[in-house]
Amino acid sequence: MRDATAPPETPAWLLRQPVALCPCGCIGKRQKASYLERTLTGGSDLMHQVMFSEDVARLPGVLQRLDPRVKLVGTMLLLVAVGLAHHITTLLAAYALVLGLAWWSRVALAFFIRRVWLFIPIFTAIVVLPAAFSVVNDGDVIVHLWTWNGEPEGLTSQGLFSAALIIMRVAVSVSLAVLLTITTPWGRLLNGLRGLGVPRLIVLTINMSYRYIFLLLEAVGDMYESRKSRQVRAVKHDAAARATVGASIGTLVGKCGHLAEEVHQAMVARGYRGEVHALDATKMAAIDRAAALTSVVLAAAILSGDRLLGG
Amino acid sequence: MAADPNDHDTLPADAPRGAVFVCRNLQYAYLDRFPALDGVSLDIMPGEMVALLGANGCGKSTLLKVLDGLIHPTSGTFHAFGELVTEEHLEDEQFNMGFRSRVGFVFQHSDAQVFSATVRDEVAFGCLQLGLGPAEASQRVDDMLAFMELESLADRAPFQLSGGQKKKVAIASVLVMNPEVLLFDEPTAALDPRTQSWLADLLSELNAAGKTIVHATHDLHVLEQIATRCLVFSEDHQIIRAATPEEILADHDLLLAANLVHQHPHTHTKTTGTITHSHVHPTTGHHE
Repeated sequence: MRDATAPPETPAWLLRQPVALCPCGCIGKRQKASYLERTLTGGSDLMHQVMFSEDVARLPGVLQRLDPRVKLVGTMLLLVAVGLAHHITTLLAAYALVLGLAWWSRVALAFFIRRVWLFIPIFTAIVVLPAAFSVVNDGDVIVHLWTWNGEPEGLTSQGLFSAALIIMRVAVSVSLAVLLTITTPWGRLLNGLRGLGVPRLIVLTINMSYRYIFLLLEAVGDMYESRKSRQVRAVKHDAAARATVGASIGTLVGKCGHLAEEVHQAMVARGYRGEVHALDATKMAAIDRAAALTSVVLAAAILSGDRLLGG
Repeated sequence: MAADPNDHDTLPADAPRGAVFVCRNLQYAYLDRFPALDGVSLDIMPGEMVALLGANGCGKSTLLKVLDGLIHPTSGTFHAFGELVTEEHLEDEQFNMGFRSRVGFVFQHSDAQVFSATVRDEVAFGCLQLGLGPAEASQRVDDMLAFMELESLADRAPFQLSGGQKKKVAIASVLVMNPEVLLFDEPTAALDPRTQSWLADLLSELNAAGKTIVHATHDLHVLEQIATRCLVFSEDHQIIRAATPEEILADHDLLLAANLVHQHPHTHTKTTGTITHSHVHPTTGHHE
């Protein structure tokens, strides 16, 4: 029997050398990164992008100098105007305006365009493209793809126009939102919301969600990497894999619960009793008033220009 | 007239006069199954710098949370500044504000404590919650950011900070409230040596300025600098010894029993050839 006070013995198998990797590459096969891996990497990249965006927000550009309240109201006005526009020409003009504002605010245009066009319009296109087919909506077929009961079927001019209109609307709207967020530090944006009368509790909730999403994203990344570092064979998408994912989700929920409890305790420890008090927002300067007026004029110009185009 | 043993509102008869905290026979268990405190009694006097020593999971953090009124013992009593602290008493706004403004707590995990959008908002949070006007709060925040050399980070988001910077922000967010008592949970854990040294100096400075400090640690190499008295926890969640840091560090048997040092055979090859012997490790990096 082992002496209870003595340290436990090291198992014999732990002292044996592991099987070395074969340098000729005969073990296993090359595989592309999995969807999950790409998603996690994407999430991690997004985190870095956000950090990078804070750097953009500190550049001495035009939008960076404005009061966040003016930027919020101005963006809302332009979003409404873009949402009401019915002509692609109007939307293209509005997009040119957004790009001009980005350039004026020292935002790297290639980064800005890529950030908008790489993701959101692609997803929008997936949603709206079926409506461009004659089997979904009647119209004049301009791209003939097949014949059904003697009738030509394919993409219709009306459908393509509608799809292009929606995609442009989304692209301009997303560009406006991205421009607002990358030229305004997160803290100032929340101050702007507070200044516009959004209840403090809501602002605090938004802030904390934003703050802890990144923390949880890190936790997910760590969990995934720790699993990957112990993974020898290719992942099988079987019951065991699903059980692992389920267990990871459960662990993350547990971590969320623990973190939420600690955050609440940290707030209570500093006097939080359900009502949040915060420092007041900054005062508006002449440039802010001029910017507010300009955004009203631009929104009116988009709407009247669109009306002038008729239709 | 003898004190009624069931009257928990009055201070225990053996409580020293003027004590900041008086705890008697505290019991606490997580989920009613996992004990964290088992009959803990202690007194903290004004101006003391007390270190709670013990291995992981011995109950130090739980005790600190009890001392900050964040969790409440399942039995036993906790008095702060002569008043009984219970969940019910902390519901009272006046009592709550008085207690919160006098006791500050720096959590072990800065990520849990640093939740605001910017460093400035974070530091402002506590004093605004306790009713300071925006102008006074703003002035205090500026002073605190300057004192902690955080001015250049004032408009940064917490996720852009390093571990040491987050710890500094967490401390600033508590110090700005100017509490009489400061509770620190593992203040030097996961900090680089320079930040650890800065923190030890800060604790000494705050204590010299009259602040009462209670902190949990198992970091022994700065103990003499950051404690005037130590309370040692056993792994059974009880306080087994109260003494000065010098006395505690000299008692190897106690340190071994409390799992604060370890003993193992090893060799010294660099200096004296291969000699095998056993000894205790009060500090890290001994074998380099």
